[in-house]
Amino acid sequence: MAPTTCVNCKEARAVIIRPKNRQKICRACFLHIFETEVHETITSANLFFPGERVAIGASGGKDSTVLAAVLKTLNERYNYGLDLCLLSIDEGIRGYRDDSLETVKRNAVQYEMPLEILGYGELYGWTMDQVVAQIGKKGNCTYCGVFRRQALDRGAAKLGIKHVVTGHNADDVAETVMMNLLRGDLPRLSRGTSIVTDSGASDIKRSKPLKYAYEKEIVLYAHHRQLDYFTTECIYSPEAFRGSARTLIKDLEKIRPSSILDIVKSGEDMAALVPNQDSGKNGQAATAEDESAGGCGSANGRSSGGEMAAMEEQLASNEDAGSRETEIKLPKTAPKKAGKAGKPAIKTQTLQHCEKCGYMSSQAICKACMLLDGLNRNRPKTEINIGMEDEEGSSTLMRQMEKIQLTNS
Amino acid sequence: MPSIEMTSPCMECKNEESILTIRRRALCSNCFQRFVAYKVIRRIEHYKPTINNNPIPQILLPLSLGVSSSVLLHIIDSVTQVRRRKPNTNKAYDLHVLVVDPTSLSPSDRTYETNFLAAKTNFPSATTFTKIPFHSIFEYAPDMKQIMLEYAGPGFVDDASRSNEERLTAFRSTITSATSRKDLDSVLLTRLVVAYAKHIACEAILWGDSDSRLAAKTLAGAAKGRGASLTWQVSDGMSPWGVRFEFPLRDLSKPELLQYAGISELLEGVIIPEEPISDNILTKNLSIDDLMMRYVVTQGEKYRGVMANVSRTANKLEPAKGVDDQFCSLCGALTGNVKGNDAGLTVASQFGNSQGSFCYGCIRSRPEVIP
Amino acid sequence: MSDSIPITVEFTGGLEILFANERQHKISLPARSGDGNPSNIAYLLQYLVDNLMKDQRKDMFIMEDNVRPGILVLINDADWELEGEENYELQPGDNIVFVSTLHGG
Repeated sequence: MAPTTCVNCKEARAVIIRPKNRQKICRACFLHIFETEVHETITSANLFFPGERVAIGASGGKDSTVLAAVLKTLNERYNYGLDLCLLSIDEGIRGYRDDSLETVKRNAVQYEMPLEILGYGELYGWTMDQVVAQIGKKGNCTYCGVFRRQALDRGAAKLGIKHVVTGHNADDVAETVMMNLLRGDLPRLSRGTSIVTDSGASDIKRSKPLKYAYEKEIVLYAHHRQLDYFTTECIYSPEAFRGSARTLIKDLEKIRPSSILDIVKSGEDMAALVPNQDSGKNGQAATAEDESAGGCGSANGRSSGGEMAAMEEQLASNEDAGSRETEIKLPKTAPKKAGKAGKPAIKTQTLQHCEKCGYMSSQAICKACMLLDGLNRNRPKTEINIGMEDEEGSSTLMRQMEKIQLTNS
Repeated sequence: MPSIEMTSPCMECKNEESILTIRRRALCSNCFQRFVAYKVIRRIEHYKPTINNNPIPQILLPLSLGVSSSVLLHIIDSVTQVRRRKPNTNKAYDLHVLVVDPTSLSPSDRTYETNFLAAKTNFPSATTFTKIPFHSIFEYAPDMKQIMLEYAGPGFVDDASRSNEERLTAFRSTITSATSRKDLDSVLLTRLVVAYAKHIACEAILWGDSDSRLAAKTLAGAAKGRGASLTWQVSDGMSPWGVRFEFPLRDLSKPELLQYAGISELLEGVIIPEEPISDNILTKNLSIDDLMMRYVVTQGEKYRGVMANVSRTANKLEPAKGVDDQFCSLCGALTGNVKGNDAGLTVASQFGNSQGSFCYGCIRSRPEVIP
Repeated sequence: MSDSIPITVEFTGGLEILFANERQHKISLPARSGDGNPSNIAYLLQYLVDNLMKDQRKDMFIMEDNVRPGILVLINDADWELEGEENYELQPGDNIVFVSTLHGG
């Protein structure tokens, strides 16, 4: 096959086909266009102000590495006047984080940015290795994810920084849209696509400048700029992709490459269609806590196969608790309500301070404190393996507790 | 009283042997049919017998002769017949059944005349029972010829001397990818059914989508950039054409409807056996609609509740209410963003400004113009 | 024409885990596949699974006889879609890179 010429500069050899419009472009044009599009995202959403101190949530992985590289480039090219630094969380997983933290340390040198590393151990009194020793390998991702989200905010607060940017990309946002449709979570559907998630009550603003960037292009950007990033599966979630919404997203991309941004577009439209009482807009209750609970911290809250089972379990327990009997009964007279009139009352969320730690939470006790409570109650840790049934039972209990709290508040 | 001889009595009436298990309850044939019928009836019970001289609502039921719409027709027909046997009861509605000739949708050697006639004979409560070909869209929606020309772009030459059938075939064949083809076909089919409904002055259309189908349509709609249209594509309410869309099967899954069809004699000669989505087709060659149906079916085996939840969630979204909203001339969707969505993705940001009167989803399915 | 093609194969983005944690492999591929046709990417995939892959989890790399969705293939640094995907016929000295996008970031 004869080499294809770049449609942009009409000179160099095309090496990339853009997923969003199938344009064939060369390496140099690609790098520039990619950066320009992130710049456009940043300016159209007014993400930054001159002199702002911004922490980049850095894991050493591809997304946050590309984010750091692009932000450094744009900050210099367009004179944003940003004071950038890297903020890393050490979950305390031996043999996993050690290497990725080394990558972040190299990044700090390469990009000339100060680096702050904050450990789960010092924040929560538990490293992930200790959590896993306590609760087993299944379900630990929930702990990791919940702890991680708060950790970034707490780390920023410690540095006196009010804006944390994360490497969430278009694939992540698309996956969140699909997951929220599957779990029927209207409040999250109304917020999950926003580029900025801040709360009027909390100090820390979160944003995702790569929201419209295809994961594929992020990987290619890293490849063609030869960025130094680290990849591995988390040793505690080796089966993370199987049957997940992520797989569905990748299948869709194979069928129609644009579909990832098409889902983001759908998600943004649907967010505006969520009825007001469901959106949680009254409190702007989008905390970091919102971002896809249960996900692996290292993987940007990416879903795992286990999430579907957890959702089904919850739905089934809801049905058991209430509606199943009435579902199957056949009243001789027709019930009063039909169609849309039959909506059950839907939870609303308002923000408050966690009674234990003061962190912003949609419930009286924030998720991290609830999880910690469970962990601390069982100290000193035992060597007994918790069987699968026990663990599922306890997670169901967790959800029931959450439900009770919701209905009470 | 449960009979001692019964090995597995029906958990509802306790008088009969159960024949199947649905939602973890063993039911006899009679109670199962009542259960299914109840799920449908409560969705259409807002059609109450008309009082005095009030006009009788006209409703249209598009029948594909597949499992779901046939079961829907069966249930509505039996409800209607029972009601009409009661003395002094006014009609609640006039039911019109429309079959779009399956052979005009996808070429086939066999005709479905016997299926059509069986439906007509077995379900006599319908006021009219009509079969029309796909290409009659040009008769019922005359503006479609112009819209089609604009949509297909300069590469497509419409030959006015040819028959409607040939012209529609020519247009459909300009669209090459499986996803776009399926997407466009369902847009055109919706337009035809709506145009026919308006032609005979129907105020509502009862679509025969199971909750599995609605879940797949929801996910596929989102994946095709059609999220804003879900408020009428899978939700009960007003469509962009002033005809109400209703989905009375939204509480029943495809496997449940198959169970129902399996024990209903009246449906035997009616239903055209469905060709399952082959496992041999490579994922990349599937359409997005088929991928999502396959996803809902396979995941639904393990996670029925999750899949049932999808269309329920979509059904809670509120229709867009922007004052200066513009609508797609092809599919009826909003051409801009939903009011309140001021995010970065717009038709213009993705495709440039010269895309005329079409929406984001339709432009995605357009014949490839990029070299 | 010689009966083998020397090429370089690289696995990154987490895929190296499946190939003995080695990023770069220099291999010598038979010039023709079993059916006598010039070796192409499709044949290379099969060859890699049969000869180079140490991990049992084949479906982390191959699905439906092709590269798993989410794994990018670069032929001499160009997206393989520009080169004919699995039908691209390998040339001596080619550099084939497989990059996973599926791993954590």
